Amino acid sequence: MTRFPEREAPTVTELASGVVHAVTETGAGETSAPAFESSWGPLSAAARGRLHALLSRVDGASQTQVGYPCNQAFDYSELFPLFGYSLNNVGDPFATSNYRMSTHDIERDVVHRFAQLTGAEREDVWGYVTNGGTEGNMYGLYLAREMYPSGIVYYSEDTHYSVQKSLRVLGMRSIMIRSQESGAIDLQDLEETLRIHRDVPPILFLNVGTTMKGAIDDVGAARRMLEELRLGDHYLHVDAALSGMILPFVSDPPPWNFSAGVDSLSISGHKFLGSPMPCGVVLAKRKNVDRIARSIEYVGVLDTTLTGSRNALSPVVLWYALERFGAAGLKRAVAHCFDVARYAKLRMEAAGIPATLGKHSITVVFPRPSDEVVTRWQIAPLKGIGHLVVMPHVTHGMVDAFIEDYLAHPPGPGRPNHHGARSLPPPPVAAIMDLSTKVSER
Amino acid sequence: MKQIVVLTENHAGILADLAECLAARGINIEELQGDANQAGGVVHLTVDLYDEALVALRDAGFQAVSEDALVLRLADEPGALARVAAGFKSENINVRSMRILRREAGHTLVALVTDEPERAARIAGADVVVRAGG
Repeated sequence: MTRFPEREAPTVTELASGVVHAVTETGAGETSAPAFESSWGPLSAAARGRLHALLSRVDGASQTQVGYPCNQAFDYSELFPLFGYSLNNVGDPFATSNYRMSTHDIERDVVHRFAQLTGAEREDVWGYVTNGGTEGNMYGLYLAREMYPSGIVYYSEDTHYSVQKSLRVLGMRSIMIRSQESGAIDLQDLEETLRIHRDVPPILFLNVGTTMKGAIDDVGAARRMLEELRLGDHYLHVDAALSGMILPFVSDPPPWNFSAGVDSLSISGHKFLGSPMPCGVVLAKRKNVDRIARSIEYVGVLDTTLTGSRNALSPVVLWYALERFGAAGLKRAVAHCFDVARYAKLRMEAAGIPATLGKHSITVVFPRPSDEVVTRWQIAPLKGIGHLVVMPHVTHGMVDAFIEDYLAHPPGPGRPNHHGARSLPPPPVAAIMDLSTKVSER
Repeated sequence: MKQIVVLTENHAGILADLAECLAARGINIEELQGDANQAGGVVHLTVDLYDEALVALRDAGFQAVSEDALVLRLADEPGALARVAAGFKSENINVRSMRILRREAGHTLVALVTDEPERAARIAGADVVVRAGG
């Protein structure tokens, strides 16, 4: 297991002798010792113990993390030296900045690569690396509001809860639309609601891979609906937090990206690619972004991003992951996830656990497990269901161990999620061998 | 008197859990009314410490709706919410948000926030489960 390196604390004698520099006042042209050496005291044994305990806890938890869409299979140790600098990507990555310890060049590269993955022409979209999917979604809604201040946002009941927070922050009017059993937006409900508000520009917030069920809203049908209702002034944002890194690598993806006419799109970076910190990418049609540009003299940039100081390490992390994966590696990773997800569904069904798995989804949905299983495997339960999100680090063995635990600790009788599952039979070898996923040949 | 609506699961001990989570924060329940069906329950509460109660219920994992919202029970079918919206629109009531709280056997519970909650409640009529301001 990784351990934090021990660092000898400087003695009083060392400090006094100048072996370790103390804080000094310096004039112009003089050099001074780095403030770090002089002002940081040694880490106490108690504090170091706390760090060890933290590392141990996180390491242990990572062994059973199957309920959240966070890929654990990565190694960014080559980037560790970058932790020695005060990096900051303040401002627009496509503008110049007075702050030179940035990674804007790499951020631009990441944006271009994601543009390629999402069916966009490089020159037609603008974007930046965000703190995660929520910021990307908020940015899309912000753009929509600036374009259509009186617009109403329509989103399904399976939309991530953070969207309602963003709507509140942005002060946007909104109507929640029913979801189908699959988790996808109910198009009939959407159409009837749109008809009533034909005089108000609709802002459609659609999901490409819902949080709980991995369902994909029918972006193509929604677009056609807008045309048929002659709603010319409209905005279409897509939350593709997880599936945005999956659909580029399947052979028959549904319409979901800029090719399908969306105006903006948010993808998480820490989910499929994996990252030590939350991050993501937001992409938007450049012509829309240009309308809301604001000049910020303070840092000498034309800043169209939501925040001021921005994480400069996360673009490097994403770039590094894309370099290390390569297109072939991403395709293999997607195929692995489909295979293990299908395996999990089959194994659960064989064990008497009703499980569902949507098309193009790596999220296996089942009745909510007992509280101890929820805790041990870090399942995110909601309304009587739980899910297993098969990320690249999830193996057949983890799935088997999870199902055995699920069966060994069933939800209590009388609870609404009690389902009377039976013991786990041997693996259905024939079925496992026929895990035909349709991964793109590109 | 300010009111809180709590959407609960329907299993034994749920009311005790609810009362316990409030008592643990020193919050007194002044009135409690509830109804339940197979899908779950709807509990109407009045308490002495309103904001604290909302926090306590949230922390305990309950779905609590403050009195700012108008809660309606509608048929669980496509367009049901749209028809309510149409009624408000024809009366020039500005709806700030409409969200589905829960879908149960044949019905949907919906929370609405409007600029004119009292007038909205009158228009919604029999669909109202609880109106803003109690």
